Amino acid sequence: MTRADIFVIGFTLALLPFLYSTYWNREGPAETAHIMDQSGREFTVPLSTNQQLSIEGPLGVSLVEIKDGQIRFLDSPCRGKQCVHAGWLKQSGEFAACLPNRVSITVSGKDALYDSINF
Amino acid sequence: MKPDTEQSLISIKTTRQDHRIAWLTALAITIHIAESVFPSPLPGVKPGLANVITIAVLMLYGWSTAVWVSLLRVLVGSILIGTFLTPTFTLSLAGAVSSILVLGLATLLPGRGLGPVGYSLLAAQAHMAGQFLTAYWLFIPHEGLFGLLPLLMTMAVVFGLVSGLIVMAMLPRLDGKTS
Repeated sequence: MTRADIFVIGFTLALLPFLYSTYWNREGPAETAHIMDQSGREFTVPLSTNQQLSIEGPLGVSLVEIKDGQIRFLDSPCRGKQCVHAGWLKQSGEFAACLPNRVSITVSGKDALYDSINF
Repeated sequence: MKPDTEQSLISIKTTRQDHRIAWLTALAITIHIAESVFPSPLPGVKPGLANVITIAVLMLYGWSTAVWVSLLRVLVGSILIGTFLTPTFTLSLAGAVSSILVLGLATLLPGRGLGPVGYSLLAAQAHMAGQFLTAYWLFIPHEGLFGLLPLLMTMAVVFGLVSGLIVMAMLPRLDGKTS
């Protein structure tokens, strides 16, 4: 093996970790929340300020809490409470919805975790 | 009158080089087809052992012979397998062309240059990269495809290394026995 061979092998072995870190590590922390209400309007809230929001829906008011760069449904006037059980959303691309009350939340950062989701 | 069959035959003058290319290409095609029989764990992952021939030819007879053997192998291989002008063929050709181009550049290196392992690694990676970009450009123009790239490149490195080592083991036995 020549010196150039060793160089090529070294270059190759350096390239692989670079590829993995570039293409396999795309989800980042969430930075903003996009909340959609019954009218289909989407409003954007930064996750940097801690606050509670009340969102009006056909069943009543859904309570949403933002804390430490995360967001969750605190309460919702629906039966199953799946939205509340979805818990904190903190990774970019995560999603929670209260379908009966027609409120949905998705969070985004620099890169999205999912391209699209179908139900 | 006796028909003169001799005259109706067209005879093409073949050189020693033509015969050499034909024999080596036949060998590469055989490996190519034998390999295509095996199922692949991941689409696009193939050992690419036919490249062993390309690299050996490059080491023994130079780049231009390697170009012939590599491109003819893709063409004839695809016709025999039945993938001629299908996406498989396009990808195969794109891979062969990019690896041949990179090998051409690599032969220009000064000094002792590269050995079989270096050539094979470069060829395998160029092959995969060319193929991948062609797939992205022509067939699946979606960002998500890049998620496959690290895996495919890892396979390319593994198989490139294996092919290179095979060539290295092969060359001393071939020396002096080939014309």
